[in-house]
Amino acid sequence: MSTITRLDQLVERVKNLPKKRIAIAVAEDQNTLSAIDEATKMGIIHPIMLGNKDKIISLCKEEKINHSHFEIINFENDVEATQEAVRLVRSGEADVLMKGLIGTDKFLKAVLDKEKGLLPPKTVMSYVCAIEIPKYKKLLFVSDTAVLPFPNLDQKIAMIKYSVNMAKKFGIEKPKVALLSSAEKVSSHFENTIDYATICKMADRKQLPECIIDGPLDLFLACDPESVKIKGVPTPVNGEADVLICPSIEAANIFYKGLMLFAEGELAGLIQGTIKPVVVMSRSESAKSKLYCIALSCLMSED
Amino acid sequence: MQITKLQQMLEEAKKRPKKRLVVVYANDLHTIEAVNEAISMDIVEATLTGDETKIKDICKQANIDHTRFEIIHETNDIEAGLKCCDMINKGHGNIIMKGTISTDNYMRCILNKERGIMSGKGVLTHVSVIEANGYGKLLIVGDVAVIPQPDIPQKVAIVKHLINTAHCLGNELPKVGLLAATEKVSFKIPSCSDAALIAKMADRGEFKSALVDGPLALDGLIDKESCDIKGIKSPVAGDADCILFPNIESGNTFYKTCSKLLNSELAANVVGAKVPAILSSRGDSSLTKLYSIALAALTSSN
Repeated sequence: MSTITRLDQLVERVKNLPKKRIAIAVAEDQNTLSAIDEATKMGIIHPIMLGNKDKIISLCKEEKINHSHFEIINFENDVEATQEAVRLVRSGEADVLMKGLIGTDKFLKAVLDKEKGLLPPKTVMSYVCAIEIPKYKKLLFVSDTAVLPFPNLDQKIAMIKYSVNMAKKFGIEKPKVALLSSAEKVSSHFENTIDYATICKMADRKQLPECIIDGPLDLFLACDPESVKIKGVPTPVNGEADVLICPSIEAANIFYKGLMLFAEGELAGLIQGTIKPVVVMSRSESAKSKLYCIALSCLMSED
Repeated sequence: MQITKLQQMLEEAKKRPKKRLVVVYANDLHTIEAVNEAISMDIVEATLTGDETKIKDICKQANIDHTRFEIIHETNDIEAGLKCCDMINKGHGNIIMKGTISTDNYMRCILNKERGIMSGKGVLTHVSVIEANGYGKLLIVGDVAVIPQPDIPQKVAIVKHLINTAHCLGNELPKVGLLAATEKVSFKIPSCSDAALIAKMADRGEFKSALVDGPLALDGLIDKESCDIKGIKSPVAGDADCILFPNIESGNTFYKTCSKLLNSELAANVVGAKVPAILSSRGDSSLTKLYSIALAALTSSN
């Protein structure tokens, strides 16, 4: 299978896969409706909408969307709708969970429920997004832009595993992982660089999934081969990173939003660590990115 | 040529211009004997500070010609130490050696702010060169005696001193192993993450003319067969020239296992001051003292 290097190729790939059943919790949500409609029309998903049926139908009419191809299950209460959506995914009746018009706190509470939720015990929940920008010849898998505020060493290792796993699903056999910092030097004064050095050595000792990994690296050394030459820092990532691991949510979030805002970026992002894909999309994402998020969840729900 | 036996250090030191050794409070036979031997080998010329009468008595009893030494009379041990430091600061000494002054007072003299021999922010640390039977080359290790629980900057300084010592002994590309209990990286064991950090510094060019890797367990450092069996891939694997210990307990235990249990001969210096300092204890053999003088003569830059 060829490597996916653009997000429209992701959609094309998913079109060839069996249709995925996607349970949308509290689906009376203008934010996601048109993306769901588009994905449904493309034949990549079968949506199961849980929420206020009247509201969903009237919203569809407003948006001039034909609701007859949606499976709608009526729930008056948003928490109950979410719990049922989680149950459908947990039981295998649905392949993907998606957040609709419900607060992230309430939504995650159902996802994280110890008995009935989707996160196995002692598993790190994180977030990875695949970002496409015209200026870089391939996709960038960036973590963690949304969930872990200040990842510790364990959490950074989880972020790497999730990102590498996602990159492999895109057909990248040996992803190049850059552990980002402000410079390539290690120093005991910068705690992240200690973590990074530890992680690199773990990779040397084959304690991580197979990948090419180095850090600390600044963004130039991670993504610009010319800078690697000029600076003369020998690094196996060599300015061709597939995966960017960021030191904090602030860094990751600012980086990805910068790409969206100033570099014509598009993205596909997904919660990581759950037994099945969980889609949480922000209102500010473009219609294209919303479709890509859904497509990504379909790809990642494949075993 | 790389020196692989302590005896070769003596041979090599003989070929070099003589160094001036200054001895702090040399009121004991073991010290005087070792210095006398080094003079006989043309490795050093020596100044002894201490109680002149006592020194001359000891020489007489041991049949040593006291005119071979410059003797500076001083009956206070600390003042003797500071006078030695003065000589070094004036360029009249290349090596300092401890006599019967206590280690604490000896170190205090070296570290004395006005008259001591530290320069800038140098890290004072202990480097031992051990000839372990069957290993085929010398092992340069630290710190077994001075820094109890080195932090990362101190570990980096120790590694640099180990590398420098190896270079002085003719090894152009020493292999430095960062010791831990296992080669696996576990963040529950601080020695592992420290070693990983220092290894990454090595990747980034922190250490010139050396191969540095860790964490590695002792077998991973000195036993090629273990490395093959365990599948350890490391530039140092099984062939270490230098070992960084994570703390003084592991270092001191290794050192004494070699010297006391396995009868290994060794040489040791305190480094990090303007000149190498010899810190031999009464328990050391006179051969160890002689080797330590030769080591200092080879590493002293003047």
